[in-house]
Amino acid sequence: MSDEGGAGKGTESRRRLAVIGLGNVLMGDDALGPTVIGALEAQYEFPPEVAVLDLGTPGLDLTPYLLGLDAAVVVDTVNAPAAAGTIVLYRREEILKTPPQPRLSPHDPGLKEALLTVAFAGDGPREVLLVGVVPGKVTTGIGLTAAVRAAVPDAAVAVVRELERLGAPPRARPLPSPPDLWWERR
Amino acid sequence: MSTRITVDPITRIEGHLRIDVEVDGGRVKNSWSSGQMYRGIETILQGRDPRDAWIFTQRLCGVCTTVHAIASVRAVENALGIEIPINAQYIRNVIVAAHALHDHMVHFYHLSALDWVDVTSALKADPAKASALGESLSPWPHNSKREMEAVKDKLASFVAGGQLGIFTNGYWGHPAMKLPPEVNLLAVAHYLQALEYQFKANKVVAILGSKTPNIQNLAVGGVANAINLDNQATLNMEKLFMMKDLLDEVAAFVQQVYLPDVAAIGAMYPEWLGYGGGVTNYLSVPDLPLDTKGTQFDLPGGTIVDGNLATLKQITSFRDPYFKDNVTESIAHAWYDGEWDKHPWDEETVPRYTDFDGDKKYSWVKAPRFEGRPMQVGPLAQVLVGYATGHPIVKKYADQVLNTASAIAKVKLTPAVLHSTLGRHAARAIRCATLSELALKHLQLLIDNVGKGDVAIFTPWTYPAGEQRGFGFHEAPRGTLSHWVVIRDGKIANYQAVVPSTWNAGPRDEKGQKGPYEASLVGNPIADTAKPLEVLRTVHSFDPCLACAIHTLDVEGNELSKIRTLT
Repeated sequence: MSDEGGAGKGTESRRRLAVIGLGNVLMGDDALGPTVIGALEAQYEFPPEVAVLDLGTPGLDLTPYLLGLDAAVVVDTVNAPAAAGTIVLYRREEILKTPPQPRLSPHDPGLKEALLTVAFAGDGPREVLLVGVVPGKVTTGIGLTAAVRAAVPDAAVAVVRELERLGAPPRARPLPSPPDLWWERR
Repeated sequence: MSTRITVDPITRIEGHLRIDVEVDGGRVKNSWSSGQMYRGIETILQGRDPRDAWIFTQRLCGVCTTVHAIASVRAVENALGIEIPINAQYIRNVIVAAHALHDHMVHFYHLSALDWVDVTSALKADPAKASALGESLSPWPHNSKREMEAVKDKLASFVAGGQLGIFTNGYWGHPAMKLPPEVNLLAVAHYLQALEYQFKANKVVAILGSKTPNIQNLAVGGVANAINLDNQATLNMEKLFMMKDLLDEVAAFVQQVYLPDVAAIGAMYPEWLGYGGGVTNYLSVPDLPLDTKGTQFDLPGGTIVDGNLATLKQITSFRDPYFKDNVTESIAHAWYDGEWDKHPWDEETVPRYTDFDGDKKYSWVKAPRFEGRPMQVGPLAQVLVGYATGHPIVKKYADQVLNTASAIAKVKLTPAVLHSTLGRHAARAIRCATLSELALKHLQLLIDNVGKGDVAIFTPWTYPAGEQRGFGFHEAPRGTLSHWVVIRDGKIANYQAVVPSTWNAGPRDEKGQKGPYEASLVGNPIADTAKPLEVLRTVHSFDPCLACAIHTLDVEGNELSKIRTLT
């Protein structure tokens, strides 16, 4: 492990992994990422080297959460030419294959810019899987559309498979609790 | 003949901020700022328990989470007449200050420095000269020749690997880029170091807030940080001293790196101390309260009209009627039903989209006004109010930046240069340095008060019957933020958030007065209409935040932003 730019690192030499849910819980289907995080936490116990994070919509503030990671699994809505609720998987190289666009608001940058920024610092995850779900409706309001809600279990399974592949499988809870989706409560 | 340039980041779902400028003879003649996204998230809060409002409002924006949480609890406490214990004020203040330290550093180094710094030019730099320059500006220990060489090597291998995509938004090689290679190398080195120090500031927020983004420790009536100096599970001595160490390190970076860097860039782009002034009415609110009632503060607030510091009128408490009575929002040019100009408590949010028409309606952002005037908000407003009130820390750092820049530029720069594009960057650095001292001060106030045996963190309260109205303000990193709540029988009847970027990015009002972004662009030079770097420089200097409410990723290379030039 390199010790450059190590703001996000502990002193342990163990590998570090993170499952990161992105999205705004107040904007319809954009709540997909946090919803999958809620489902995973309710159903599984994660090994200590795996951080499970709902980071909302951090823009470039995603950067510090990537520092010191060996691998990351990111769950988010993704624009793709497919029906709402379709799951699309992307690896790091695919995320980075097109350059970022000029931006007007400094808060436009996202996953791509954050990955490049930590790479420039000689840090950040070498392995990234983006578990994307094509959204139906992203407008002000709480709750997923039926198609996107139906994709939540499969998206959670995709995360679990990736952690297994990385050698850090979560353990199914014998008594799963209902997920804590506080934003859906009235 | 004039040329119309539209800078319009678009997504499949909704766009964000769109800027239109009309250019004639290489200068901007007219401009329009348009929020391309309907927010109206406030409507989600109607009918909910006011105790939960802060948990929802901090999801309004993914970058400015903490600030909405703070403004929201203050609004509900104001409506219900709740005073919170002094420990709770100090804990909130340390969070507020640490969050702002993090935010200002990220804004300068990671989000806008590339408007001024040409990264590829750094490859031509002499590391020894870059080091000598850095050491002449500051005692910072990480400006050595060896460190400059390492950064140059890292940059070279990044370029060789074809990974420079991260900097495409920096327009390298643009004719408006003017820094010498050594300054560019020094700036790239500090860009990398800033990654580490902004994270240290954010760690303080995480220690007190349990989690970041989206802190968990607030409550209407105080905070949820149990204090027991000897208990591992609570706020204890170990955590207090861990925060002190982190804040000491951050203060050194801000004072010895950020402040001199901004002074140097200001001195080397002196023309940008003349462009970008625009609206010179300023509004800031006081923050970092020193008492339980919110009548004494460590950061000053008030208004300044027409750039004249002698017009200063201070805002002096959480209940000050001067603020409460004078805020309105106009929808004359915004896509809502009607033509009104109303106080936030009386507003209704009924969207009504029509096409972009610069003469009629062209934005989702309302136009906030104070006593009928457009106001610029942000660090510059607070620094000018601080300068006008003789705030000793603000004045110390403002004079330091102006003196350093004057020495480099070899001309005498006065506070008047702050009404400009680079003045806004300088003010942000001055505010950041001020906060680097005040964060440590409020942490010490907390330690001292707890040392006296006071561990109170919460004031119990109950809902009164009937209707209450309240407002809560917070001087956020992007400027004055206010939340306005109407409570009826323990439920939210109305809620409005008037955010800093609304003040700055808002459209014209019913009198045709331009908003701050619009006014600031008029007169800016444009060297190349296909690459309007100068528009980005001025808009970025405000630190806009309109784009964070949604953010669906686009991996397939669909066009996410576009720049159109119409002749």
